[in-house]
Amino acid sequence: MHPEHSEEAGVAVDDVWRHFGPVPALAGISLTAPYGKVTALVGPNGAGKTTLLLILASLLLPDRGTVRVGGADPATDPYGVRAAMGWMPDTFGVYDQLTVKEYLTFFADSYRLPRSTVPARVDELLTLIHLADYAYQPVHVLSRGQKQRLALARALIHRPRVLLLDEPASGLDPRSRVELRDVLRGLAADGAAVLVSSHILTELEEIADRVVLVARGRTAGEHTMSELAGAAKVGYRVRAIDGEALTAFLAERGVEPVAVGHAGSELPAMAEAEAADLLAGMVGAGVRVVAFEPLGSNLESIYLALTEERR
Amino acid sequence: MTTPSGIWLVARQEFRMRLRTGRWKWLLGGWLVLLAVFTGLLDLSVSTGYGYVDDDQSRRGVPIFGILMFFVLGMVMVISPALTSQAINGDRERGTLATLQVTRLRPGEIALGKLLAGWGVGLVMLALSLPFAGLATAKGGITVARLAAVYGVVALLIGVVCAVSQALSALLARSITSALLSYLTVAFLCVGTLISFALIAPLVADERTVQTPEGYAYTDTRSREDRVWWLLAPNPFVILADSAPRVPPRLVDYGDAYYYDDYDPLSSIGREVRELRRPPSDGDYDPNQADVPPVWPWGLGFNVLLGIGSVVLTTRRLRTPSRTLARGVRIA
Repeated sequence: MHPEHSEEAGVAVDDVWRHFGPVPALAGISLTAPYGKVTALVGPNGAGKTTLLLILASLLLPDRGTVRVGGADPATDPYGVRAAMGWMPDTFGVYDQLTVKEYLTFFADSYRLPRSTVPARVDELLTLIHLADYAYQPVHVLSRGQKQRLALARALIHRPRVLLLDEPASGLDPRSRVELRDVLRGLAADGAAVLVSSHILTELEEIADRVVLVARGRTAGEHTMSELAGAAKVGYRVRAIDGEALTAFLAERGVEPVAVGHAGSELPAMAEAEAADLLAGMVGAGVRVVAFEPLGSNLESIYLALTEERR
Repeated sequence: MTTPSGIWLVARQEFRMRLRTGRWKWLLGGWLVLLAVFTGLLDLSVSTGYGYVDDDQSRRGVPIFGILMFFVLGMVMVISPALTSQAINGDRERGTLATLQVTRLRPGEIALGKLLAGWGVGLVMLALSLPFAGLATAKGGITVARLAAVYGVVALLIGVVCAVSQALSALLARSITSALLSYLTVAFLCVGTLISFALIAPLVADERTVQTPEGYAYTDTRSREDRVWWLLAPNPFVILADSAPRVPPRLVDYGDAYYYDDYDPLSSIGREVRELRRPPSDGDYDPNQADVPPVWPWGLGFNVLLGIGSVVLTTRRLRTPSRTLARGVRIA
């Protein structure tokens, strides 16, 4: 999309196609994931997210198109890409027979980290993912969430500048998700380019700086989080102590409630600025408002619009 | 660059995991018991004079060693496919291969490291048979050179079977299929070669019409095994027998005649296979005729090439980024 930026972005993808038999998994997708930012890759199942991540992880060749990961082309310089990139697949196995520490040490060796630095790096990561207490436990005793964190540590072992995560939040409890968010925000703050695919939209809203929307193997939009928050229209629910004053005010403003119930009136979708003006007017007119809240997340409404378009 | 340190890293890791998974103590213990029982019975049965009789007590070890080594070869041929026939697709099924492929390890390092680990387990089993071969050696007639040569050949053959099985596991998506095909490959080498030789040898025999002085004509077939001897060459048992350094034959009194015999199952099979290479002659048997060249270099060469080809194939299948995805991998 912005080829001139490809040198400075952690991930730059331009017009990438990939077929599996007659089925196009990617149909000219383009996106960038800059350093220092968390970029979310959002789209319905079958949109091509995993295929794209496999290509970025230097495991799969695209049919055509240009790809840069950490400044290298995975097709011609996979080892250059691998030195700079960490990848966490959506489904993965671990070596059940090893202890947590042995597992990470093996991958540190596989990435050819200098021998003397390995123990310190492994301990550092075990602390980061809160598994230091499990260092000498066999991997098979870990819970699903703990294994997920171990896989994240594996992807981080060689301090990659580009981090690719395929559905990292799936199957995590809320506590682990918050920790994941903190780890990813910390990596981005240290200058890494983080690309996260997911359909857990509310999670990405807190994690990501930027959102790339994909549908049918193509980019459907590339936005910053703040852009989206401003542009997206969502419904609002409002409740006032004096219901009649509220109804009168809304009628005066020409806003027709979608539904009126015990919890308050549901207002039709509007942009953030619109909603803010309406609330200010309400308060100014003396309506005693006790609740004014958006219905659903911005990302969710965009996502739903996107999937509706697909049908 | 495929480096020894990378190969060693993968091999150590695989070996460690194998040690922690299986019930190795029981398996190896069972193997030792089996060898002990077999060698003990063999020693007793050879002493009865039912089969290989050698009056020369200083060479008692020769038949024991030969039969024991056939047994050991047969057993490791059965075990070896299991060591590597799920090495690659098993990792794919468990989802641990791709995470290894995105490290800086090269495909050759992964392929050779995994092969070394499987081969290593096979060599441990082979090494456990050494005390029993030593027992046979102690009975006399076996030189250290013979022992070393025979063990070297068996060790190589284990490696070949492991390499072929691993290549099948890299080619096929399902580990059940690759295990089955590995066993079929071994069965072809051990039994299929014999069957194809037996079926094809009659087809290449010469048919000629002989005119008798009385005016009658009849057709005579003359076997021409020298055209198809190579069908037997890849057989591991043939290779083992023919490559074993010969025991010098002794002149034995059979009562009504004297024969040369060495009481060695390895040498006698080796001699018979070599005789297949001799073109037929119309003349009488000539005791001074030239020796026929050995068969085993062809067989061992074939097998070693098969092994090397398998490693190359495995390495190619492990190379990424790949054009195709392994079947069963979710797309999109």
